[in-house]
Amino acid sequence: MSGLSMIPAVSVEFIGSALAILLAFIALGYARALVKLQPNNFIWGFLWYFCIAMAAFSVSRGVGHIVRIILVYNDRGDVWQLLSPFSGGFNTMLMISVAAVTIYYHKGLDAYKAIRTEADKLAAANLQLAANAEELQKLNTNLEGIVEDRTRDLTQSETKFRNLFENSKDIVYFCDFNGNITSINSSGIQMLGFTEFPEKINFHKLFSNPDTLDTYLSEIRHKGFVSDLEMECTGRDHSIRYILLSANAIYSAKGDIVGYEGIGKDMTRLRNITEQLINHEKMASVGEMAAGIAHEINTPLGIILGYTQLMLDDFDSESELHENMQVIERQTKACRRIVSDLLKFSRQSESIKANINVNDIIKEVLSVTEHTLNINKILVVRQFDPHLPLVIGDAEKLHQVFINLFNNAQYAMSKGGQIIITTRQHEHEVHISVRDTGSGIAEEIKNRIFDPFFTTKEVGKGTGLGLSVTYGIIQEHGGTISVESPVDDPDTGLELRGTAFHILLPAHIENNSEQAV
Amino acid sequence: MKTLRHLFTLNILCLLLFCGADSAWALQSHSAPEGIYVHQMAHVLFMASLGYLYWHTRRTQELTSKGWIFLQLFCILLFSWNVIAFTGHEAFEHLTATDFIYKNTWQEQLVSPITFIKVLYYITKMDHFLMVPALAALAFSLRTFYLEARKGVQ
Repeated sequence: MSGLSMIPAVSVEFIGSALAILLAFIALGYARALVKLQPNNFIWGFLWYFCIAMAAFSVSRGVGHIVRIILVYNDRGDVWQLLSPFSGGFNTMLMISVAAVTIYYHKGLDAYKAIRTEADKLAAANLQLAANAEELQKLNTNLEGIVEDRTRDLTQSETKFRNLFENSKDIVYFCDFNGNITSINSSGIQMLGFTEFPEKINFHKLFSNPDTLDTYLSEIRHKGFVSDLEMECTGRDHSIRYILLSANAIYSAKGDIVGYEGIGKDMTRLRNITEQLINHEKMASVGEMAAGIAHEINTPLGIILGYTQLMLDDFDSESELHENMQVIERQTKACRRIVSDLLKFSRQSESIKANINVNDIIKEVLSVTEHTLNINKILVVRQFDPHLPLVIGDAEKLHQVFINLFNNAQYAMSKGGQIIITTRQHEHEVHISVRDTGSGIAEEIKNRIFDPFFTTKEVGKGTGLGLSVTYGIIQEHGGTISVESPVDDPDTGLELRGTAFHILLPAHIENNSEQAV
Repeated sequence: MKTLRHLFTLNILCLLLFCGADSAWALQSHSAPEGIYVHQMAHVLFMASLGYLYWHTRRTQELTSKGWIFLQLFCILLFSWNVIAFTGHEAFEHLTATDFIYKNTWQEQLVSPITFIKVLYYITKMDHFLMVPALAALAFSLRTFYLEARKGVQ
């Protein structure tokens, strides 16, 4: 009786059971590693429990099969009969367990997915937050850098413009709508005669001429700016300065003028030089004309005088005709004096130049004129420098200069006063000052006093050639003469009444040590 | 919840199929066939759970990595093993002691003639040809998960 041997099936059962146990535990090992690696992962947790159940099932079933084969095929079927129900029961129970674990898996998975979704969102939000924080940090860092750069640039710019403001030799100012200066540079402060920034100073009040102020305000308020306005400015020390002004209006956000800013160039020196130049040219042209006239008149005058003197001998000295001829002679001589003065003014007369001491010249003139001055209650004050250097000049003509100046001073002090004569060395020049305490010279005629025939005296009391001749003589000696009225006292800084003529003559330094008195 | 309800219904159907109606007592004793019935029901439950696991992992978009493919293979193989095992148990129930010779010895054989039931029993007896590959797929699946997770952590 032959049949189908069960050996192959039993062998597969035996080996398969062992392999099943082995593989189930390998899977369990990986599941455990997964759980350890990521303890919070629900899926790994599920697989862990699933593998436990599978391993238990594999053990239960595999061991059951192996034990059955061993016992049954070794005549211990009775033992197996005892164990068999337990093995089957375990197998059943563990299969149900695996099923139960699987069935409940989806619930956990849903929860896990929900949590995971939220966690992913949170992670994404955190990531975004971190990115934003990083971006913010970068921006902050950049911002700090930008602020630092801008601050540095601003500081440099501020320093540059502050230096420009402070070091400018022109007046730079800022003022409010009413003209109250809010900021002004050092040059401006000095120009206005202050030593430090004053508490309150109104720029509009510095205008000497109200018409110029009106022009300034009118233009700047209508056009928003004023350009190259010639301004006559009266400083704190009452000195007049000529300023070439350019200014702009400062507007508020609403477009209203809230103040002004401007730059002014001090043109005083240039103006004085220009005036002197004009004056010089004028005097030169007048001198040329005077010389021409004098030459032309001099000859007929000489003839008239000569014939008059000849005719005087022809008439009886007691006769009326003789007296008439004397009048003609006298007036002709007066005309010759005028012509002579004109020639002196135009430097056409001859000069005999030598080394002379100006102090001596003045003393000689005073020896003649002081008596008359004293009669007119005029006191002469001498402030001579005993070490005054010599000058090269014509003594006769220099006598004429001081006679003219003393005469003028006397005329200006009809009720008496003082003539203060000062001589001193000023660098390479001799400075002579003749100051009186008289009525002074009006500002409007100051520029004309050296013009020929200009006089403030009554008709017949002066020819108007005195100062012209003086000017001509000083020019001939290579010097300058200027007038100051009223006079600033260099010691007190006060303004004194009267007039001062300042003469500068080139000093002859080489002979200074030998001939100084 | 819906799945649980389906499983409960399936269990009831199995009970109706395999269990005949009998007298009921308050304290009911368990007769001999109950063990095999329970065991078969466990197989059915096990199959259902594996089928569900396969279905759920297939439809879940997040579970598409290689490890899940191995797990799905495990589900298929173990499901198939359950079918084989279930069939084997049923086939064994149709065999009697006379169908075997040299029983419980190394020479044990199925006696001729070799009927369909006997062949079916013989084939299902070698169910480890499915179970071992199924557990191998499970091991591969877990290994793949582990390697991927470790790579992710690193």
